[in-house]
Amino acid sequence: MIEIKKLTKTFGSLVAVDHLDLFIGAGDIFGFIGPNGAGKTTTMRILVTLLEPTYGAAFIDGLDVGKKGKEVRRRVGYMPDFMGVYDDLKVFEYLEFFAAAFGIEYAKRKAIVDGVLELTDLVSKQDALVDSLSRGMQQRLGLARVLIHDPKVLILDEPASGLDPRARIEMRELLRELKRMGKTIMISSHILSELEEICDRIGIIEHGKLVFSGTLEEIRPRLGLQSKVRVKVLGEGIRAMELLSVLPQIQSVEVMASQPSSSGLSGEGPGSTLLVTFKEGQMADGLIARTLVNGGVDLLSLQPEQLKLDDAFLQLTKGIVH
Amino acid sequence: MQPIQTTSLVEYLSPLRLVGPLAVKELRVASRRRRQYALRFLYIAALTAFVGVVWLGVVPYEGNASLVQSRMAAAGQRIVTTIVFFQFFAMQILAIVLLSSAVSDEIYHRTLGILMTTPINSLQIVMGKLLSRLLQLILLLALSLPMLAIVRVLGGVPWGYLLSSLCITLTAAIFAGSLSLLFSIRNRHAYGVIIRTMFTLACLYFVLPALFGFTAAYLFSRAGVNLGSRAGAMMVLGPIVVSLNPISSMAAITSRMFSPSGPSMFSLSVHCAFMLSLSALVLGRAMTIVRRVALRQAVGIADCGSRIADLRGKANPQSEIRNPKSGSVRRVVGPPLVWKELRAPFIQGIDSRNSYIGLAMAIVGLVFTYLVGAQSKSLTEDFTHITYVMLFVFIGGLINIVFSATRITTEKESQAWPLLLATPLSDWDILLGKAVSAFRRCLPIWGLLAGHVLLFTLAGYIHPVAVFHLLALVTWLTCFLTGSGLYFSARFARTTSAVVASFALVIGLWVIGPILAGLMGVMGGKNDVLATYLWSHPAVQTQLIMTGATGAQNAGTSWRSLRYATAAVFHTGREEMNVGRVTCLLMAIAVAYILAGLFFFWRAKCCLRRRIF
Repeated sequence: MIEIKKLTKTFGSLVAVDHLDLFIGAGDIFGFIGPNGAGKTTTMRILVTLLEPTYGAAFIDGLDVGKKGKEVRRRVGYMPDFMGVYDDLKVFEYLEFFAAAFGIEYAKRKAIVDGVLELTDLVSKQDALVDSLSRGMQQRLGLARVLIHDPKVLILDEPASGLDPRARIEMRELLRELKRMGKTIMISSHILSELEEICDRIGIIEHGKLVFSGTLEEIRPRLGLQSKVRVKVLGEGIRAMELLSVLPQIQSVEVMASQPSSSGLSGEGPGSTLLVTFKEGQMADGLIARTLVNGGVDLLSLQPEQLKLDDAFLQLTKGIVH
Repeated sequence: MQPIQTTSLVEYLSPLRLVGPLAVKELRVASRRRRQYALRFLYIAALTAFVGVVWLGVVPYEGNASLVQSRMAAAGQRIVTTIVFFQFFAMQILAIVLLSSAVSDEIYHRTLGILMTTPINSLQIVMGKLLSRLLQLILLLALSLPMLAIVRVLGGVPWGYLLSSLCITLTAAIFAGSLSLLFSIRNRHAYGVIIRTMFTLACLYFVLPALFGFTAAYLFSRAGVNLGSRAGAMMVLGPIVVSLNPISSMAAITSRMFSPSGPSMFSLSVHCAFMLSLSALVLGRAMTIVRRVALRQAVGIADCGSRIADLRGKANPQSEIRNPKSGSVRRVVGPPLVWKELRAPFIQGIDSRNSYIGLAMAIVGLVFTYLVGAQSKSLTEDFTHITYVMLFVFIGGLINIVFSATRITTEKESQAWPLLLATPLSDWDILLGKAVSAFRRCLPIWGLLAGHVLLFTLAGYIHPVAVFHLLALVTWLTCFLTGSGLYFSARFARTTSAVVASFALVIGLWVIGPILAGLMGVMGGKNDVLATYLWSHPAVQTQLIMTGATGAQNAGTSWRSLRYATAAVFHTGREEMNVGRVTCLLMAIAVAYILAGLFFFWRAKCCLRRRIF
């Protein structure tokens, strides 16, 4: 749905986007992350035809954004990182104005505006002046505006900034709903944990270059990270360590913590947590469980260690910044 | 506890203590801005051009040395007068422009609320802004002092005149700057501040004295006061009126220089004290409201520019609550951008009801002047209608320049421009909407012009041909000014830059252009260079149209018998022209300007999607 080929944008001597290649499939939610000034917003602005690329090309729904601007704009809903407001327009009028600007017929507009107002929970504010809305409400209105012409592609630049926790959760649910409706969404945010929860794929950009693009699972080998499992057993864990160390798939076992029994009741002896690191390309949770149970160790829990997007982001961008 | 710092005597006495660190910051920033240096260069260039024209007008370009020598003293007086009046008007205009964004910029960048969290007080904010920008003006004044000193060597100019003019100029500039600063607290756009300040000053310096004069004349005539008593009354009232008005004051000291034996109707000290007191009052008001505005911004009420918003804020300080539910939602009908532009109030921040009240007041004022004119039998005179029409064309042109140049930049400043460009609306759709918006803002003034001309055409004071000629004039003026204004609005990111560029174009074409044409004519010995150029001047066209078509004699003449005294208007060329020839020339010029306007529209379209952010 979105394809970017060797996209480059320079402002004088500053290279904002540097030979960027990217592909986002139809129906995907793509998280676009990077440090400040990395080139995220510039890329998004090129995609919505607000900037012309210096070199390279970008396509949305097969249309070249540089050549078929008007058709591209019909297919894209863009929510910038700021809320542009018109003084003296009310919420309903604001949305209907954009509906008319997108060429929606007069007879259909009211129903469509009512629909997006309901979807974004702004019905109670439809008579309010746009510039009098709070930041969170303006963000919702921005999203409502983006949806007004039912675009195939949504490009959202920091849509959750300025929102309170409840509004963020609602925004997340709304994005999931939009995904279910088949929209392709490209979203940038500094709140990485949120992207982690809703994005199918992520792209990390730094200094205008894409340093990674793929699923979170694909990041681990890219970072050269081995899979790890956190194992909790009853007792001191020495026995468990002996049993696991001899397995050929395992690189190392280390005791993280031992804790005494809290209640002192029979059967609830002191527990231990072990961190098991697999050799590269190996992952065998079942083998650990089987080995420990067969070896007579009381297994309490087995938890694969998750790679956080924050950690991946830090590691992928670390070192590139001079 | 130890004192943190001991203030030395020098620091204690430093004027910077009064204005605080804000003035230091302003001066530092100003020194880094290229526009300050460009301003100084342009100021000197314009001053030199004016002096050059006066010099060539007074001293013969060719002739024997003794003739030239004999004219030196007169030339000295004329040149000094030119410099002094140039400074007088330029300083006030620059004070208004420089201070038009003084506080609104802080509001726009959301730094005013932050300033209020520091120990800087309102006095320091207001005085820091005022003095730091006035210092730029004082530098400009200082730049012209050497020229004044050199010209004074030619003789005929007393020191007293120079000092008095300097005092009047400075106090007038301080007052104009203070007003601009006060309005900049309430208005987020610099152009709005400039218009309001100019309007207020025009009311104070022209409308009030004119109303005073009209009323006095009316009351005297009603009461049957004889001429001797009227002169006596004017001897008492005259000095008061002159001393309260800087333009009259400047005229009074200049006429005294040319005829020292004449009666003096002016007191410099009274005038300066009055102007400074007025400035102090305005600044006091600014200090009072700047804190209120800053605090409202600090607690999250962003829009401090609108008076309506302010009133709503007074009713309830919560932004959510100041949001009115009154008034119905209007459905979008027709082209969306045209609808939006027609939906907006005439003037940003002033709701339509107040605009209509203002228009009604203007009509009442106009009718009042008609009544006074009818009483004094001046409505049958050419001069009366030339003045009226010239005034309408001037104000209409001014409004057109400002509103055309602000149509796009205001959207850029409110960050709504990218949203509009991200829609499938074509560039021509957008430009059409903006052009309609600019034209709509000019409609009231063009309506007044049409009303005036039609009324007096029906009354038999104006020949019907003037209606067609004025229609052509207004059409090309609108097309040209709208096109150029939209071009600059699309070209620049900030409203003030676009407005200044539009004014610069107009001043270049219709002020500097004639001066250069005159210079070329004088140097080349051809007077018709200026005359040919002046045909394209809207004010000259207006004068020509109205001179030929008004007056008791012209209004009743048949179309074929109408004669236009072109020699009287252009001071050269053929004595008279018939209506056909004048119409052809006016139409040719109108077509040229319309084509130029369309060229600007096309250029605006070309750069509509550049410099979006």
